[in-house]
Amino acid sequence: MERVVRKKVKELLDSGNVIAVIGLKDELGKTTPYLFRRGDDVSKLKLSPHYPLATVARKLHKADPEYKFALLCRGCDERALIEMAKRNQIDLDGIMLIGIACDEKMARECNCAVPYPSCDDIIGEPLRDLELGDPYGEFKKMSTPEKLEFWKKQFLKCNKCYGCRNICPMCFCKECELENGLWLRKGRLPPDYPVYHLIRAFHLAGKCIGCGECEKACPAGIPLMTLNRLVRDDMKDLFDYVAGTDGENVNPLYTKEEF
Amino acid sequence: MEYETVLTTCPYCGCGCKYYIEVIDGEAKSVLPCKEDPISEGKLCIKGWNAIDFVYAEDRLTTPLIKEKGKFRKASWDEALDLVAKKFAELKQKHGSDAFGLLSSAKTTNEENYLMQKFARSVIVTNNVDHCARLCHASTVAGLAAAFGSGAMTNSSPEVEDADCILITGSNTTEQHPLIGSRIFRAKEKGAKIILIDPRAIQLSRFSDIHLRQRPGTDVAWINGMINVIINEGLADEKFITERTENFEELKEMVKDYTPERVEEISGIPKDDLIEAARMYATAGHASIIYSMGITQHTTGVDNVKSCANLSMITGNLGKSSTGVNPLRGQNNVQGACDLGALPNVFPGYQAVTNPEFREKFEKAWGMKEKIPDNVGLTVVEMVNEAAAGNLKCLYIMGENPMISDPDITHVRAGLENLEFLVVQDIFLTETAELADVVLPGTTFLEKDGTFTATDRRVQRVRKAIEPIGYSKPDWEAICEIAKRMGSKGFDFPSPKEIQDEIAKLTPLYGGINYDRLDELGYLQWPCPNTEHPGTVFLHKDKCSRGLGHFFAVEYKPPAELPDEEYPFTLTTGRILFHFHTGTMTRRSKKLHNDVPTGYVEINPLDAEDLGIKDGEKVSVSTRRGAIEVPAYVTKKVPLKTVFIPFHFRECAANVLTNPALDPTAKIPEFKVCACKIDAIGE
Amino acid sequence: MDSEWEPKIVGFLCNWCCYAGADMAGTSRMQYPPNIRVIRVMCSSRLNAEMIIKAFQAGADAVFIGGCHPGDCHYVDGNYRTKKRVDVLKRLIGYVGIEPERLRLEWISAAEGEEFAKTMRELCDEIKNLGPSPLKQIAEEMV
Repeated sequence: MERVVRKKVKELLDSGNVIAVIGLKDELGKTTPYLFRRGDDVSKLKLSPHYPLATVARKLHKADPEYKFALLCRGCDERALIEMAKRNQIDLDGIMLIGIACDEKMARECNCAVPYPSCDDIIGEPLRDLELGDPYGEFKKMSTPEKLEFWKKQFLKCNKCYGCRNICPMCFCKECELENGLWLRKGRLPPDYPVYHLIRAFHLAGKCIGCGECEKACPAGIPLMTLNRLVRDDMKDLFDYVAGTDGENVNPLYTKEEF
Repeated sequence: MEYETVLTTCPYCGCGCKYYIEVIDGEAKSVLPCKEDPISEGKLCIKGWNAIDFVYAEDRLTTPLIKEKGKFRKASWDEALDLVAKKFAELKQKHGSDAFGLLSSAKTTNEENYLMQKFARSVIVTNNVDHCARLCHASTVAGLAAAFGSGAMTNSSPEVEDADCILITGSNTTEQHPLIGSRIFRAKEKGAKIILIDPRAIQLSRFSDIHLRQRPGTDVAWINGMINVIINEGLADEKFITERTENFEELKEMVKDYTPERVEEISGIPKDDLIEAARMYATAGHASIIYSMGITQHTTGVDNVKSCANLSMITGNLGKSSTGVNPLRGQNNVQGACDLGALPNVFPGYQAVTNPEFREKFEKAWGMKEKIPDNVGLTVVEMVNEAAAGNLKCLYIMGENPMISDPDITHVRAGLENLEFLVVQDIFLTETAELADVVLPGTTFLEKDGTFTATDRRVQRVRKAIEPIGYSKPDWEAICEIAKRMGSKGFDFPSPKEIQDEIAKLTPLYGGINYDRLDELGYLQWPCPNTEHPGTVFLHKDKCSRGLGHFFAVEYKPPAELPDEEYPFTLTTGRILFHFHTGTMTRRSKKLHNDVPTGYVEINPLDAEDLGIKDGEKVSVSTRRGAIEVPAYVTKKVPLKTVFIPFHFRECAANVLTNPALDPTAKIPEFKVCACKIDAIGE
Repeated sequence: MDSEWEPKIVGFLCNWCCYAGADMAGTSRMQYPPNIRVIRVMCSSRLNAEMIIKAFQAGADAVFIGGCHPGDCHYVDGNYRTKKRVDVLKRLIGYVGIEPERLRLEWISAAEGEEFAKTMRELCDEIKNLGPSPLKQIAEEMV
């Protein structure tokens, strides 16, 4: 599949329709986000491991809103871009999406039910009917005290690196409530229990697009996606709202409508 | 629009995480974790995430400064360098080479450390070169070199997660080495047993199977106690002892006195807990010892380290993966600074200065006409003492801040102010630079190329991401310029790559390390003697560096200053996660400063109640050296009658209080124990 | 269970409806337990999730939110927002081991003093049965 993508990227760049393509490149034996230009060696283009390229797109757009580029886009990247666009963080008109479908290995790693974007031309076979197991394992069967013990063991490992927030494509507030001394006493390790993680989980309600980068960025190995996925399911259950699937709808938590 | 990612190594702690710097149009914008980095695996701590902040701080030094009539004025590089070269030559002529002291930096690159000691030995011609390892792991370098023949971490950081038992002492790992803390958590997930021996209830204590809270400074006692139990219960590894060690009988005889009862008397550790911990460690298949400042920063630091070595050898936990004795080096490049000879007793590669063969080798390689002195030079604290006494006339300090990091700061100020000439090369006007005659602006890790060596002997590339800010110059360039202006020939390097090549020729441990291999492999762990060698993951396989591991029978000695009637509390100092050492970089990072804007003293709730102190109230903490005012943080983390102060904050500097008593061999100060008293101020 | 323990309930009451209702209960000498610490807010939707979470972290055994009946909000639609927030938050605290019953949202008008007193009595009993908030012990451990 990498070959097909490389060919597509070269075509786009050579045609002049696109000034640059945000992709991933093999450099120094590791994969890194890279801005491909016409004449660059596309044989170095890689597709994994996944980096949140939507965030790179947002940063580039912020640095120069007139810049037109294309972007390697998986399902989660597209969901992130849609939600960012709704919040005026990016203008999707200037960006061309090169749709990439995730293979089964990647989809199962992220426990992703929709591992492909919605654009017309997707490279790779979109796994439309993927049977994922129950992502919650034993968790849902636990009693309330058992749940408390489970999270206690996890949250008390936290060392407030803010990595989950920093890597999240959806987190871009200039002033973050997690840094507000009113809710969380400053400098305490572990952070006041369970304030940090509850605020994060609540703020992600209707925002989380399920990419799983937060959990991968946690040095303490806290299973953050378990909580975020539960809230994402709740948003569907309570309000029939799934973040990242519709370019027009608004998070019900922001609106005045009754439910 | 230009966008690129530059893979570089973190400038904060010794974990050695590599990550990407996202550079947009020549400006470093943000940090992006590298998922394929072997240490960090795409995760970072709060300091790593905010590593760019301080680089662009408003008060970065951007031009050289010369002090005239007590005030600094800007100067050009030519003027400043000419002045420094002239004064150095003058002072060398007038007072001799040994009137000079040079402090290299555990923060700067290997290449810069190599050049600093080369400058000291070939241009000034003195062995008075040292750096802040003196204040942290000097005990380790001396102790493990004596026991095993090599003073470095025996195993590698990633191996920790596969140990069956991890014994952590004197290391607040989740705060000080977060990405090694991650491995400990993972090991626990995999079923490993965690033994923690630390007076404070640090974050790890929740996750440990046994937590022993010893009185500060009683480490030799409890380790000897454990060895006593292990021998008595037949848990010692006879085969390993017979085949791979020497001097066991002396140790066996001496530990007979260290019964669990006696150890309880000395250290306060309940005897049953000690026995359980000993059993847990000795019966594990692969057991790893992790330690840091709690072991090294004592007047018995070297003894403490030797005891750790004893413990690992008794149980055969050496020379195989996920075992060993693992000192966690604090600074990003303190391992490198030691490796590259920025020490008064060794050349690069730990080749002793007292050995005429090595002296000749370096004199020849460096094209020297003068002879390198055959005596061991002065260490950091000794330099300050000699400066105060008037014997040391000149100090050249690079990337170090003794005015915050050394013990007994009042004395340090007296010493530095007494010098005839002080040159400080740094990125900010630190508390030490304020006292200088000439200040030279160096560059940060983002603005130069080079290598850092992480705590597990891992040499990794630092890559230039942006141009130097203002007129600052990479430190290696500044050193070369001064050397050239003093007439020296061996300082013509087009780039750090060539410096590394020279290092490889003279340093067997780094023999196979060059930039091409580092680009290809990502890292190389020494010993790496030639370019075919893949690097060494763990040391002392089959045999120790010195051949047989040596048991040292060390007796317990109490700390230099214990609490008494006048000063009834034990003061212990240390670090916290959010700040790094003297705070030069972290206190200029918005997010880090936001979380912890100033220091505090941890005090037990019962003690606080006795003294009538409430949480947050300012109190006065005083010792025989001085007094500071600092807010109280009432917490059960500290045991009764013990207080803890982090040393990062100039306005409540813990080192005003600390005791400059030194370990006789390693010359490391006893930062971890002294006597203090607490008084409420009523604010 | 400590027989000495009395629940500490933080009550955020909206100025226009519930607070007035509580006031009415008071002036009419209706009995309800003293366990509730009242904080008056102009509208129940003033409360963000952080405040509720902080109340629990600080040691509240329960958090009660009193707002206007749907359609009666003084600011037209504030209470709709409150309901949505609390719906999500109730489930969320349940996932981390805090019983969802500890977070309670009720619509009580200015005329419903009786309703207010009754709700307080019920809530207090319910929390007495649940016991102290599990966060209190964790906070104790973390001193």
